[in-house]
Amino acid sequence: MYALGLAARWLHLASSVLLVGAAAMIVMAGRSDRATAQRWERRVLASAWIWALAALASGVVIVGTQTALFEGRAAAAFEPRAIGQMLLETQAGRVWLVRAGILTILAVFLSLHVSVERRADWRAARGEVAMLAVAALLPLAASGHAAAVEPDTARAIASDGLHVLAAGIWVGGLVPLARLLRAAATEEGADARPYAVLAARRFSRTALAMIVLLAATGAGLAIFHVGSVAGLVGTSYGRLLLGKLALLALALAIAALNRSVLLARLGGDGPTVGRPAMRRLSGFVLVEAALALAILVIVAAMNVTPPARHEPPVWPFTFRLSFAALEGRAEEATRALIGSQIGIVGLVALIAGLAMRAWRLPLAAVALASLGAGAGLALPPLAIDAYPTTYLRPSVPYQAGAIVAGAALYQANCAGCHGPRGAGDGPEGRGLPRAPADLRAPHTAQHTAGDLFWWISHGIPGSGMPGFASRLGEEQCWELINYLRALSAGYAARNMGPTVERDRRWLVAPDFTFAVGPTPPRALKDFRGRTVLVVLYALPGSRARMSQLAGREGTLAMLGVEVIAVPIDADPDAIRRLGPDPRVLFPVVTQGAETIVAAYRLFAVAPHVELLVDRQGYVRAITRGSGDAADLDALVARVQQLNAEKIAAEAAPEEHVH
Amino acid sequence: MRAWKAVLLIDLALIVGVGWGYAFWGLREGRLERELSEARAAAASGIERRWVVEGVVRAIFPELGVIVLTHGDIPGYMPAMTMGFRVASPKIQEAVSVGDAVRFTLQGVLPNVAVTTIEKIK
Ligand code: HEC
Repeated sequence: MYALGLAARWLHLASSVLLVGAAAMIVMAGRSDRATAQRWERRVLASAWIWALAALASGVVIVGTQTALFEGRAAAAFEPRAIGQMLLETQAGRVWLVRAGILTILAVFLSLHVSVERRADWRAARGEVAMLAVAALLPLAASGHAAAVEPDTARAIASDGLHVLAAGIWVGGLVPLARLLRAAATEEGADARPYAVLAARRFSRTALAMIVLLAATGAGLAIFHVGSVAGLVGTSYGRLLLGKLALLALALAIAALNRSVLLARLGGDGPTVGRPAMRRLSGFVLVEAALALAILVIVAAMNVTPPARHEPPVWPFTFRLSFAALEGRAEEATRALIGSQIGIVGLVALIAGLAMRAWRLPLAAVALASLGAGAGLALPPLAIDAYPTTYLRPSVPYQAGAIVAGAALYQANCAGCHGPRGAGDGPEGRGLPRAPADLRAPHTAQHTAGDLFWWISHGIPGSGMPGFASRLGEEQCWELINYLRALSAGYAARNMGPTVERDRRWLVAPDFTFAVGPTPPRALKDFRGRTVLVVLYALPGSRARMSQLAGREGTLAMLGVEVIAVPIDADPDAIRRLGPDPRVLFPVVTQGAETIVAAYRLFAVAPHVELLVDRQGYVRAITRGSGDAADLDALVARVQQLNAEKIAAEAAPEEHVH
Repeated sequence: MRAWKAVLLIDLALIVGVGWGYAFWGLREGRLERELSEARAAAASGIERRWVVEGVVRAIFPELGVIVLTHGDIPGYMPAMTMGFRVASPKIQEAVSVGDAVRFTLQGVLPNVAVTTIEKIK
């Protein structure tokens, strides 16, 4: 089934692309009254008719396999009802209906023998074929992966459309061009030689533009669908893309040879053009076309493979490069800097070599040498150990609930060695080959969540750190990692005080859910875009401060501040305990307080704690106190300072993994 | 047949096809949307409505005849929030105190609604 689907997709892509290329090539070459040229044109049109039928037939097979896939049983491919549903109710089905309609019109038009004696008729007829072929190809973009891109759907579809169009004009044009050159290279084809040379030159110019367009749209699509180096080397989609690029490089090398060497040999016009040169060019053009059609096999496979963005990447190398490796290592940093400078010299030499023909060879040698030396010097200091899971994204979000679950797992499994507070001072850790790591240390920031996942699952060989894959499930591992993340963030947060440091966002506020009485639960994340003051309070000590906040709630609301009060003792009767005076109207958590307190105590421990969370979800200031009334104007000033900051368009905190 | 005539015919057919497609799908979409908004407007105007909602009593202002409640979603009126409501009679407020989890009835013609019953839940 898979093989059939793949073969049908390839045939469909290839014939749609060849159809566009054939039509475009005829338009590019123009009208001729030479017998050989006219014979060539008729043959190309005849093959275009075959491509149209092949596209229709393979499209029907695709619809069948798609339906079977959709319904989950092979027999559905032959049931009219299931097929009808697939055609009318899915986007891919509707797109196919439109394309099938256009292909049918095109096939009928190609089979009509219309007269093209006059120039206007020729233009109308050939232009119409090209237009219909393009119209049949373009909607393909709206039924592939591009249609599923969020949120830039329209841009992704437009890029994809331009990409297939450019591919069609370049790849599809090669086959008719080769035929024309071959026909003109024969003894009796001499009359069409000037026409063939002209056509080859025009095609070469257009194809160059199309390749540039392919590269630009291809790069955009790669960002949409792959997005990261890990996705490129670590997923099947990414590896298919790499294979595609390798074949493309080969095809482009041949294209460059054709353009700069073989095409130039056709120089001099008219019947004097050498037949052997023309035949050779025709052969190489066919090779280029064969490579391009092979690329379409990979493209067909990519169409049925989920894009890298939606797959967990498996990192294939034992190291990765990161600037984080240089932190606190001045010598290595200098080495990396010098290496990068040498590399830049190499780049300049490379560009100069491309620009100056006469000096090309020596400049290329200099460029190669300094690029190599620069890389050899700069890259090793950047290397950090990496594992297959290094770029895995946590499947459990950074939430108070997960942190608390992770804390329990930690006490049960890890505290013996790493110590009850993560300081690496547990009793079982003595006498191990290496001392258990201090898990509060900031250097964990060098490591991705995926690194920690690997260590916890598989242990660290030769150190005494055991692997837990047999005892802990995947979800439990991620909970532990969330706990470790909060633990080391909290350790760093011990220096965070009540003043706001301008534009320094580093302490992510773990998300939490809470409810006030029987009302539906809400999450901290729902308040994104407003400033939130999370108040961890305890009665009776905090009563004075709570009255103060309640009294100025209007002022705070006007500044865009939401107050969420969390009773440290997690009393479900907290609102009644606060009583009617003062009138506290901001949310007082009656469900979920225990979890919030347990998680946020990693950041600050005091009888009364206030955390100021900015509009992007980062904790920016922490006030630890006893709950006495304090200067409210200071709080107002801090909020105004936060409001004056520009919100950077960076990733939301929960996507920021360390 | 002269080629340009054939081309003209095909293009005309295409235009008619696209136009028909637009007329069919686009107009249908537009009509559905209009009907929906009309239905919404009709539902919202002039008719007495009634909701039963759960919440927590946050403050009582006996002199104003107002009770402040943190409440869940009130479909078609307002999302979950803390809000003061008029009470239909002073007796209603006397039955509850701050911190009580309650189920209350909100009744009236928008925007003139009031709390008509309230009872503690637990
Ligand atoms: C038998 C003792 C022992 C137990 C139990 C243990 N560890 Fe370790 N762990 C170690 C040692 C020893 C190292 C130091 C390895 C090194 O320095 O290379 C370590 C290192 C680590 C590191 C790497 C820290 C870094 O930044 O280099 C992490 C993360 C870690 N442990 C997490 C855990 C977690 C989570 C658990 C509980 C599921 C756990 N460990 C249980 C002994 C232990």
